[in-house]
Amino acid sequence: MTRDQKKVVKKILFYLVLALIVVYLLFPFYWAIASSLKSESQLSMTPATLIPRDPETGEISIFTRNYRAVFSNGGFVRGLINSTIVATSTTILALLTGSFAAFALGKLRFKGKEPALYIILAMTMFPQVTVLSGLYAVINALNLSARVSMIFTYLLFTLPFTTWVLTSFFRDLPREIMQSAQVDGATPFQTFHMILLPLTAPALVTTGLLSFIQAWNEYLFALTFTSIDVEARTVPVAIQFFSGEFARQEPFGEIMAAAVLVTVPIVVLVLIFQKRIVAGLTAGAVKG
Amino acid sequence: MAISSSSNLAKEEQKLALKLLLPAFLILIIIALYPLGQVFYTSFTNREFASATETEFVGFDNYKALLSVTVRELPPVIDEDTGEQVVDEETGEAVFERPIRILPRDPHLYRPSFEFDFFGSRYVVGARTPDFIRSVWNTLVFTFFSVFFETLLGLIVALVVNSKFRGRGAMRAVMLVPWAVITVVSARMWEWMFEPTRAGLFNMLGDRFGLIDGSYSFLSSASLQLPAIIAVDVWKTTPFMALLILAGLQMIPNELYEAAEVDGASKLRQFFNITLPLLKPSLAVALIFRTLDALRVFDVFQVMLSQKRYSMASFNYFQLISARQMGMASAIGVIIFIIIFAFAILYMKSLGVDTE
Repeated sequence: MTRDQKKVVKKILFYLVLALIVVYLLFPFYWAIASSLKSESQLSMTPATLIPRDPETGEISIFTRNYRAVFSNGGFVRGLINSTIVATSTTILALLTGSFAAFALGKLRFKGKEPALYIILAMTMFPQVTVLSGLYAVINALNLSARVSMIFTYLLFTLPFTTWVLTSFFRDLPREIMQSAQVDGATPFQTFHMILLPLTAPALVTTGLLSFIQAWNEYLFALTFTSIDVEARTVPVAIQFFSGEFARQEPFGEIMAAAVLVTVPIVVLVLIFQKRIVAGLTAGAVKG
Repeated sequence: MAISSSSNLAKEEQKLALKLLLPAFLILIIIALYPLGQVFYTSFTNREFASATETEFVGFDNYKALLSVTVRELPPVIDEDTGEQVVDEETGEAVFERPIRILPRDPHLYRPSFEFDFFGSRYVVGARTPDFIRSVWNTLVFTFFSVFFETLLGLIVALVVNSKFRGRGAMRAVMLVPWAVITVVSARMWEWMFEPTRAGLFNMLGDRFGLIDGSYSFLSSASLQLPAIIAVDVWKTTPFMALLILAGLQMIPNELYEAAEVDGASKLRQFFNITLPLLKPSLAVALIFRTLDALRVFDVFQVMLSQKRYSMASFNYFQLISARQMGMASAIGVIIFIIIFAFAILYMKSLGVDTE
């Protein structure tokens, strides 16, 4: 085999693996899309069809009323707004406090570093159900509104996550960067936000995206804290409260339509930020 | 002069560190301290959820009730005529004494949790709360397999997405889709795909390819419940792993690969000598958070199996909401907490991540 042929074979193999990955990751989501475009009777057809088809004729027939029902549902649209507010605020707070803490834990020398790391991690080690009643008491004592409660309680899982991931990235950055900045007369804090923070952009974007999605999808806290304030319901809760306009039992098609719709903003978000995940900034940051 | 200025510098650094940690710890104290403390305290009481009964301090009773296990050998049932062990005529299996007759009853009743064979003898594991012991086992099996496959697949996906090809920007978005689907809904979606009729995807496919008869009940069959749930979780959280690993890959300086290329090191060698060792710290953190989530797994178990099979967290939920045993539920929470802590330290030590 010549070199060129080898290259071609390698390329084909690569794209084969890529295609496999795409199918694996996307097929269940495709199934959700297909289900969202089926009516109740199409959903219960046996055998199930890969594309929505008419039960009688077998012709392709797309059912769009699930989507119309979702959009005409005030709870869903309100949920989207609430989810956006809550997830964005939590993520920003977690990134801000988390990156401060991570800089200290990853790059500065002080006593008690290891206990501090584990104490922060301990915040998130209990199952959510167990801490629920305690959290509820705190929220009542502080008299927080439902949205603010969600923003703060989601820090229980987003803050340890951002802190730990960012700490491991700060630790990886060479100390020489800090030292040369100090030689140039920068204060440690200037070094942090002008030099180190941009260098960890991939980690910041990654943890930000992952935390945002986690907050966006959270269900149990949201269900509990919005129980008295229906207006503050986030999307996952709103979807669970779908009563269904045409469905006899659970409006499965509508739930799938809503699930597809709430995934779209996240995909857009990732598309906007994805370039920053792979910032080749570290290359050439330290020479020598 | 030089010495005092360097110790001044160290003091400055310490001060700055404390200032930087302050916001995180303030948040921790305000929102986490009371709930966590309450869980620890409640775990030593017999408090009931939403009830007016007086709460009493019961010491370690909850823990004893949850963790008391005993292993007993089951004697074979001997046929009086032949003097040999009785064999069940229908199944052809040797018959042993019923566990309930062997396990202790006083002062506490032990019920069978599971049985196992060892060197030709049969043993039964009895527990005062057999459902909990089983849930611990389920959760550990679930955690081991799902975290293993997620890491493996996550690594593959990250390496593929990290190479240069057209459309990799879109690929990075595609990669995150499973993680983006709302968990509660994704569990419902998979439940629908596992439907025991041909309206479900797997039965439809299995039927079309002649593998199964089209009415296979995946979620009722004891041997398929865990694999099904693991498959769902692996699909859902591989993106989480992949993205964290991808970010870790970005932090490896390109110069190292360039130098290896000059030295004529093969891609495989580069992977084992550069990529993997330098990925360790990010991998450790990713593993900790994945394991932590897997040990607390709730949604998939609750939606897909509800009371057919428990995870630790879904058993906990059952104890709290249905049985209203808040003291007991808190004790379960503390046990999960301790297991997770042990795992976190184990990862940090075994992957050689330096915390100081």
